[in-house]
Amino acid sequence: MYYEYLTIGIILFILGVLGIVLNRSNLIIMLMSIELMLLAISFSMTLFSVIIDSLIGQIFTIMVLTVAAAESAIGLAILVAYYRVRGSIAVKSLNLLRG
Amino acid sequence: MYLLVLFLPLLSAIISGFFGRKIGTKGAGVLTSSCITVSAIISCCIFYETTLNSSATYIKLWRWFDFELLTTPMGLQFDSLTSAMLVVITSVSALVHIYSTGYMSGDPHIPRFMSYLSFFTFLMVVLVTSDNYIQLFIGWEGVGLCSYLLINFWFTRIKANKAAIKAMLINRVGDIGLVLAMLMIFKEFGTLEFLTIDSLLGLNPRGENITIICLLLFLGAVGKSAQLGLHTWLPDAMEGPTPVSALIHAATMVTAGVFLIIRSGPLFEGSPLALTVVTICGALTAFFAATTGAVQNDLKKVIAYSTCSQLGYMVMACGISNYSTSLFHLINHGFFKALLFLSAGSVIHAVSDEQDMRKMGGLIKSIPLTYVLILIGSLSLAGFPYLTGFYSKDLILELTYDKYYIAFAFWLGSLSALLTAYYSMRLVYLTFIIETNSKREVFLGAHEPGLSITVPLVLLALGSIFVGYLAKEVALSNVIPPIVLGSIKIIPLALTLVGVDAAFKRGRLPVPPQLSGSFLGTKPKGGLSVYFYQSVYTFFNSAWQFNYVINHFIVKNIWKFGHLITYRVIDRGLLEIMGPRGVSRVLIKLTQKFSNLQSGLVFNYALIMIVFTTLFIYTGCQPH
Repeated sequence: MYYEYLTIGIILFILGVLGIVLNRSNLIIMLMSIELMLLAISFSMTLFSVIIDSLIGQIFTIMVLTVAAAESAIGLAILVAYYRVRGSIAVKSLNLLRG
Repeated sequence: MYLLVLFLPLLSAIISGFFGRKIGTKGAGVLTSSCITVSAIISCCIFYETTLNSSATYIKLWRWFDFELLTTPMGLQFDSLTSAMLVVITSVSALVHIYSTGYMSGDPHIPRFMSYLSFFTFLMVVLVTSDNYIQLFIGWEGVGLCSYLLINFWFTRIKANKAAIKAMLINRVGDIGLVLAMLMIFKEFGTLEFLTIDSLLGLNPRGENITIICLLLFLGAVGKSAQLGLHTWLPDAMEGPTPVSALIHAATMVTAGVFLIIRSGPLFEGSPLALTVVTICGALTAFFAATTGAVQNDLKKVIAYSTCSQLGYMVMACGISNYSTSLFHLINHGFFKALLFLSAGSVIHAVSDEQDMRKMGGLIKSIPLTYVLILIGSLSLAGFPYLTGFYSKDLILELTYDKYYIAFAFWLGSLSALLTAYYSMRLVYLTFIIETNSKREVFLGAHEPGLSITVPLVLLALGSIFVGYLAKEVALSNVIPPIVLGSIKIIPLALTLVGVDAAFKRGRLPVPPQLSGSFLGTKPKGGLSVYFYQSVYTFFNSAWQFNYVINHFIVKNIWKFGHLITYRVIDRGLLEIMGPRGVSRVLIKLTQKFSNLQSGLVFNYALIMIVFTTLFIYTGCQPH
């Protein structure tokens, strides 16, 4: 009965993926897309925990939120350090390492 | 004693070859000559024991090939054929050794030369004494190798190098025939020993296989004995020193082919087709070489072609199943041809290394002894009655006439007898009798050679006179003289006399002036007959254009094939493209393409990751 909410989670996740793949300018948008994907996953997990009536999904959700917070903190820190060195955070200028 | 005849030459070759520096020039000469002389004496004893007392000796030495089916021990076989060959080989070789000490004096590499000569003798003895085909093949290849080394003795001369390579390669064509024949023999009989094969022949093996074996064996003999088709190495091999020509191309190496046929005689008896081929090839060779020899101007080449011609006789005699006659001719030929070659060497020595007969003449006054010797040799070669050549040559012709179905061979042989007489007398005439054509200082400097040269010559001359008469009873004891008409019997002799007469007549009658141009190579002024004469002369002088034809149609095409097809198309083409170069090129391109996927752009990486994750999940969800 809650399965229709699953669509929201999937759509959000795909939006996040598209945000990473199609975004060619801004690194912050990329980080935000990752957050969005994590949120979509967390949403789906809470949904499933309700559906299957198990708490473990919610525990995982809290852990994912924690990890997401830590991850975005470190990501933003790297971003700031990167900005200090390069003076720009354009994604296109990230291509120093080529195959 | 039986082993000594084998190992004395080997010993002298090793000592002279490896310790030549220690024993010096003179030491090498004396050592090798005495070793081979002792070997010759021993082989005379062997001849006495095995042939005259008719007690053939078989010695098994050690086990060599010892598989399940193929057991071929090293073994020696001394029967009458071997001992007769041994006497010829070792005695001629001993005389050649002694001769070389005089002839080659002043050459800086005498120990090497003597070592090669001894080694050659050793391998030839191995060839004739072996009791199986494999051991025979050692000697067979060995004499080819030694002929290479000896023809190439003056290795700084490009012509000698070329001639040696030619001799080696053309011999190798025949060797392939022998190897294939050995394979066939093993397949057919399961053994390679002569005795076993001979006894197995009574079981009536399949005829066509025997024919193939015989034809392959004959191919081997064609290469080694310089029969028509593979004969071109023999005249070129005259580039070596004269004693080498005497040893290799008179008494030993070229006779190996005839020896092979005689040894495989029981096999040949099983195949009439092969015998016919042998006869026809031999007769054609005899005729071909005689016509060519009649117009050669090089002293040694005349003798070389006469060797070729006489080998044709021997092979022809084998083809009509008269092996003992062939062997008899081989023995006689060994003596008088060695005499001819060595006396030719003496002549060449006297006129300061000039070989062209047109630049000789009048030498009868300066070197009379050599004249007498070369005359004996030539008369013996021409089959003059009561000299050595007469006993075997006339008999061969009569026997050929007796086989009515190849009378063709008789007439070719008789014509060759005429031409043989003509060119041997022409040789004597141009060299000794006509007015001299040589330079004044050369002519005045002509002198008889020393004792070490004349003594072997005199011994060989005695051999050329008496061997035929003495060995007649032994060699021809089982030959029934054919019944032929007196007029037929007289034909070869008459033709010989005509040939001798023609050789002298050409001296008495000067060459017509319009014909003389053809000798000098200028354009003839005469009519069609002169042109005809000239073209015939050129044709014969260039040995029926065999070299030209073979070079043009076979060798050149094989070279072209080798360069264009095997080298350029296959080696540097297909194999390179499919092999190292092509593979490396494709791999480099592929890896470059793959590494270009890593563009360094984050969103591309993300896309790739997502695409492949999706694929992974998709394939994981497929029902298995």
